[in-house]
Amino acid sequence: MHRRPRISSDSVYVIVVLAPIILLIALFIYYPALDTLGQSTTNRNLRIRRPPKAIGLDNYVKLVNDDEFWEVTGRSFKVVLITLPLEMAVAFGIAMLLNQRFPGRGVVRTLAILPWMLPGVVNGFLWGWLLNGEYGALNGFLYQFGLISEYQYWLREPDHQLFWVCVVQTWTRYAFPTIILLAGLQSIPDDLFDAAKVDGANAWHRVRYIIFPLLLPSFGIALVVEFIAAFQIFDVVWTLTAGGSAGGAMNPFTKTLMLYNYELVFRDLRIGLGAALSYIILVMSLAVGVIFVMRVYNQGVQEA
Amino acid sequence: MSLGQRGQERLRLGLIYVLCLIVLVWALAPIYWVAVSSISTRRELYARPYKIWFPSEPTFESYHTIFTQGAKFRDGSFSPTAHLISAGLRNSLIISIASAAVVTLLATGAGYAFARMQFRGKNAIFLLIMLMLPLPIWVSLIALFFIMSRLELVDTLLGLVLIFVTLLLPLAVWMMTTFVRDIPAEILDAARVDGADRWRILYSIVLPLARPGMVAVFLVAMLTTWNNFLIPLIFSRTDDSQPLTIVLTLFIGQYEVAWEDMSAAAVVTMLPPFLMALFFQRYLVRGLTMGAVK
Repeated sequence: MHRRPRISSDSVYVIVVLAPIILLIALFIYYPALDTLGQSTTNRNLRIRRPPKAIGLDNYVKLVNDDEFWEVTGRSFKVVLITLPLEMAVAFGIAMLLNQRFPGRGVVRTLAILPWMLPGVVNGFLWGWLLNGEYGALNGFLYQFGLISEYQYWLREPDHQLFWVCVVQTWTRYAFPTIILLAGLQSIPDDLFDAAKVDGANAWHRVRYIIFPLLLPSFGIALVVEFIAAFQIFDVVWTLTAGGSAGGAMNPFTKTLMLYNYELVFRDLRIGLGAALSYIILVMSLAVGVIFVMRVYNQGVQEA
Repeated sequence: MSLGQRGQERLRLGLIYVLCLIVLVWALAPIYWVAVSSISTRRELYARPYKIWFPSEPTFESYHTIFTQGAKFRDGSFSPTAHLISAGLRNSLIISIASAAVVTLLATGAGYAFARMQFRGKNAIFLLIMLMLPLPIWVSLIALFFIMSRLELVDTLLGLVLIFVTLLLPLAVWMMTTFVRDIPAEILDAARVDGADRWRILYSIVLPLARPGMVAVFLVAMLTTWNNFLIPLIFSRTDDSQPLTIVLTLFIGQYEVAWEDMSAAAVVTMLPPFLMALFFQRYLVRGLTMGAVK
């Protein structure tokens, strides 16, 4: 009998502590997510004064048959395909370096991962200024060393714009895979290298046959996280190449899926169509993420 | 053969430091250049083709300008934006500190419940919170905008804080649950035997022992909120609630502000995260890679 009050005071604690959390999540995340799904089956458009009509899956059909949708999707995958290898190479190199023992390693580590902690919009601005065709520091630097004979407009060609977007995304994000890979490297026991040295393995063999297979799970985690970050790139593009943040036209050459979705919903006010696109992006992110994880793990199992 | 053990070690260190220099140039050069730009005179900053890598007479005039007169346009006239940057600074501070404080408190209470208590629906609720992590927030944001309009929370600091608290919840709850789980069960059990109720244990045992965890959650939450751009892009309209990340993009896009003034604005925007990254990096890295490294 005397246990009763304790149980009820426990329930009071749980309810008081969890109720605000559940309320917030329900009201701000799950209900709107369902509502968006519902909107995606209507032709709601705030530019047109008419009550929205249910149109079933027409929005999805319209998107799949729309050239711009495929163009933008292809561009997003292009960003992923350029950024991920670049980012992993940079991260792997820096992780290998920071895994060495040397005086001052802590300071170098602290400074090396700084860009990751800065706001993405600032990073886009920093690089936009660096790459500026009239007064940019990159031009000045290369000119000074005689590597270019006149100032270049680095961000003028559409193809170059997308490439620089990937470089800046790499600069913004490489610290995360670096830390993950460094943690992986530090968990490799030293005896393994000693044994390999005794067996006469050279540096390349050690990387290829010991470090790489053992780092596969770390690469897997880093790739999934970075895939999502690159696939849903937004802030960096906004300040680097998107242009016209005051409602003017968006630069079409670096319009990726998230920017396209923002444009559909908050500029064109085509709520129904934008809602459908947001669910297509969700499915693509999750699907690619799952496929990625499975690939990496299967490969890991085969190699082991 | 000619190299002794010591010579070889020196060669190794030399090579390492050269590589470190390359890494640091890559990581820091853009930051260095914006800092230099913000304290350069216009004449030196626009020098070409040879750039001036450190101003001969450093000046804080750009900072003075953006806070008092409003940033300069590229044509030399002044824009009516003096209030924008100071309002942005105020808004950024309020939003990030308030969101971080609220989410830390909520997550600590919940972390104790998830880590050390049994109750009906525990796993389901935990899963519901964690499912937010892989969910792209876009799908919620579109309808959320209309909900916020109906609640009259668009363009208010309160509205932004509520959204950020919600978005930060999964990571914060996850972190705090792990941290509370690290508190030895015997200590908590001993207090229970002594007849302390949950609130008392939370206040006098969990709070002090989980303080490093709470600091980590607070810092991660504050950094993430400060750096965010998408949420205020959608939910802010005026300087009532626009944080610095938005003000910076207005400078770039709408007002075509001069580069030296824009650089000063960028430095103001990134200074708090920069300092946090220098002084609290251990906490931040632990929080931001939670689950991925463990």
